[in-house]
Amino acid sequence: MSEVAIHHPGSEAFEPSLFGTYSKKIGMWLFLLSDTLTFGALLFAYSYGRISNPDWPTPFHKESIANATLMTGCLLSSSLTMVLAVLAAKRRDRSWTRNWLLVTMLFGTAFILLHGMEWSKLIEEGMTPFKNPWAASVPQFGGTFYTLTGMHMLHVTIGVIYLGVVALRKKFLPILFLLWLLGWLAIPASSVFHVGIHVLLLALIVAAIVLFLKPKDYDAHDVEVSGLYWHFVDLVWMFIFPLVYLMSTRI
Amino acid sequence: MATTAPVHVHAAPQGFIRRYVFSLDHKVIGIQYYFLALAAVFVGMFLSLLMRIHLVWPTAQIPLFGEIKPETYLTLLTMHGTIMVFFVLTTAPQSGFGNYFLPIQIGAPDMAFPVLNMLSFWTTFVAFVVMIAAFFVAGGAPLHGWTGYAPLSAVPNSGPGEALGADLWIVSIAIFCIASLMGALNFITTVLDLRAKGMTMMRMPLTVWAWFITAILGLLAFGVLLSAGILLLMDRNLGTSFFVPGGLNFTGQLTVTPGGLSPSTTNFTHHGGSPLLWQHLFWFFGHPEVYIAILPGMGVASQLLSTFSRKPIFGYKAMVYAIMAIGILGFVVWGHHMFMSGMSPYSAFAFSIMTMCIGVPSAIKTFNWLGTLWHGRIRLQTPMLFAIGFVSLFVSGGLSGPFLAQPVLDIPLHDTYFVVGHFHLIMGVAAIFGIFAGTYYWFPKMFGRMMNERLGQIHFLITLLGTYAIFMPMHYLGLAGQTRRYSQFTEVAYQTKLVPLQTFMTYAALITIAAQFLFLINLFWSMRKGAKASDNPWESTTLEWSTATPPPHDNFGGQTPVVSHGPYEYSVPGAPRDFIMQTDPATTATH
Amino acid sequence: MHTIQEEGKAQYFWVWGGLLLLTAIEVVLAYEQVFPPIHMLEILMILSVIKSALIIGWFMHLKHEIVAMKWTMMISVIICLCLMCVFFADAFRITHLGVR
Repeated sequence: MSEVAIHHPGSEAFEPSLFGTYSKKIGMWLFLLSDTLTFGALLFAYSYGRISNPDWPTPFHKESIANATLMTGCLLSSSLTMVLAVLAAKRRDRSWTRNWLLVTMLFGTAFILLHGMEWSKLIEEGMTPFKNPWAASVPQFGGTFYTLTGMHMLHVTIGVIYLGVVALRKKFLPILFLLWLLGWLAIPASSVFHVGIHVLLLALIVAAIVLFLKPKDYDAHDVEVSGLYWHFVDLVWMFIFPLVYLMSTRI
Repeated sequence: MATTAPVHVHAAPQGFIRRYVFSLDHKVIGIQYYFLALAAVFVGMFLSLLMRIHLVWPTAQIPLFGEIKPETYLTLLTMHGTIMVFFVLTTAPQSGFGNYFLPIQIGAPDMAFPVLNMLSFWTTFVAFVVMIAAFFVAGGAPLHGWTGYAPLSAVPNSGPGEALGADLWIVSIAIFCIASLMGALNFITTVLDLRAKGMTMMRMPLTVWAWFITAILGLLAFGVLLSAGILLLMDRNLGTSFFVPGGLNFTGQLTVTPGGLSPSTTNFTHHGGSPLLWQHLFWFFGHPEVYIAILPGMGVASQLLSTFSRKPIFGYKAMVYAIMAIGILGFVVWGHHMFMSGMSPYSAFAFSIMTMCIGVPSAIKTFNWLGTLWHGRIRLQTPMLFAIGFVSLFVSGGLSGPFLAQPVLDIPLHDTYFVVGHFHLIMGVAAIFGIFAGTYYWFPKMFGRMMNERLGQIHFLITLLGTYAIFMPMHYLGLAGQTRRYSQFTEVAYQTKLVPLQTFMTYAALITIAAQFLFLINLFWSMRKGAKASDNPWESTTLEWSTATPPPHDNFGGQTPVVSHGPYEYSVPGAPRDFIMQTDPATTATH
Repeated sequence: MHTIQEEGKAQYFWVWGGLLLLTAIEVVLAYEQVFPPIHMLEILMILSVIKSALIIGWFMHLKHEIVAMKWTMMISVIICLCLMCVFFADAFRITHLGVR
């Protein structure tokens, strides 16, 4: 790749940016605006279904709510450690940047695992995208739940991998490969995650292409941009949690 | 923190693949987009030709196709609409010309994210391949219209083509959404961050303003379509009921009832969904999409009318604010596509009023175009002809807008040819005229040669008269009660009297389509044999005409231009020439 | 700019604590069903908007960006989301008209 990133020969060659910051950050913000509307539309579709189906079931008991609260705590804490990683990157403290990123990934992984276990439990109880054991006349309950949380879980997974690439670069590839292999072998074939785990394989391929075609050292800007994405994932959960879980607590 | 953006300056790539296939150069990507759209427009045009033939001679044996069945007609209609809207009207003016000329017109060496730019083209390409593949899978392409209305689209096997073809259709649209998102955020970032010194926002050419606002619309609209597409795929393949109500009956074969379900075709119980939700989500995207198609054309028309009238554009600031107003209003009027659907009459009322408000900025633009022409020293070259044609079509198509904006009139007219005439004139052909104008205008810069003037004029004349001959009678057909999306009028008693008009339109379409081959010949012949173009053949003022023809790899030969003038300084009193380029030194008077 | 962020490290812990507290309040309110559902929804949404403002403002640093960026981005996305509330008019109609 003959590409050399150079800064402006001097800011006098260009007009100052209208948003007063570097392009990558603006690009990520714009992507997040668009993603906000993607999630927004999903949440509005969910609310629409809920309004037009007054018999919406409210099955989440103490156990589910406790689990979801714990997941929320994980995400919120991961946002804090992400901020600490960005601060460390700004100080040019490489080892702490990496450490905080790894802690963030750990929290994110915990979130995914907790969520995955909850999904498995719900599937066991007989909830599918087209029916649920609590209200036969409202098949939307399962559909909206799996769509919203599934889309969010996908975003968290991508976020963890994104942070992993930023934190460890090529060293992350074998880890990702092992995770995929372990997950694929450990998860029973009956589980939906037996197929879902292949997201990791796809991500591995994409990450490998990116890392080999454009090997670079990720600087403070890259860490900050990845942080924006991570906080956004957290932000979305702040709406999914009350709307999907808290508004469906037991009657 | 540094406020300067890092610019990726890459050496000109060697080797065919890096240079022409996986190129990072925005100019090559722009041309790739342009030719993708060109391929798509001929596919779409061919489908419309088959439809027109079927409307008039329903039993005609067409070579290779045989007789077109009524359901095939619906397939043609669906694919014509989808290909034209997504892969032509969205792709050519915005991604094609925008990619090529937006960075040059603001003095940037490339887009802000060249890799993303390349990905965005190839993603669009994949979307196009998937869309075309829908023709060839079992069951063929879908027949739910380009709007994909549920529940027809949301229940698997609800009709011929609603099997794998419909899934591919949705997947293609979803891929296209992602491609457009990448393109849009790239455009916006480029405009925000990479304007050359002196290129303030209010000195940007109106083309750049149009691409910029269009990109914002795309950014905010395509995300919604993406989630709508995901939900539709879920409905089709996982049995959710977002868009499918209970108690449906499809042609007696498939019954989707609340309790138990139906025979062979599906295993799911659909209940409690709402087709209106799909319409809302779709049109939340769909109406901004209409402006995504037409705004770049408006930008090109503004640029050309000013250049070829040798006059500054009339009311530059008003034009900018009108583009912004159209962009904003474009988001609050989607409900006017749904007056027929049984939506809440209160929201219909609000949508009706907002829709009529769009007339205001549109009229501002029209009057400013006319004001620009007024007392100009008009040079009637081909690009100018098409720009004037754009204004003409925009006005003709736009005038039926206020009628359709009112629910009382829209309800009888909506499912007739009146609407078909309306949107083809304003969104279809007007936008296409914008593309033609842009092609004739920028061809010398893109390929270093001039297009043939005489052929261009003939092409213009036939196309303008032809499109009016095709689409104007549709208004009369609509008022006379001829329904749209219906394939066989020749057998319906009260409509047989209208068939001669349909026949006339089909002949007009045949001639107009034939004329497009003149354009194709002109395009490819001029690429090799056209007269050599100078750096500024139209004596234009914007930045792309101040660099070499074709522009070097980094657009300005290693330098960043300095801008000292507004974009349209023609016939400035006291100036040595009748135009002042944006890069001319500031000594020559005016702002 | 760097110095501001250094001395502001503590504020991120405060924000984090605030977010956890708000979450706890949400959970208690919802689990104890203190309010009837409609009011509950309103209160939960208000709390969530406060939480997201904290995340956007502090964690995502929007507070420190320039005015043009703050306002154009937030206004455009909030307007778009608010516009989608128009959908609900038809959702209510389904229940009122009894068409399902």
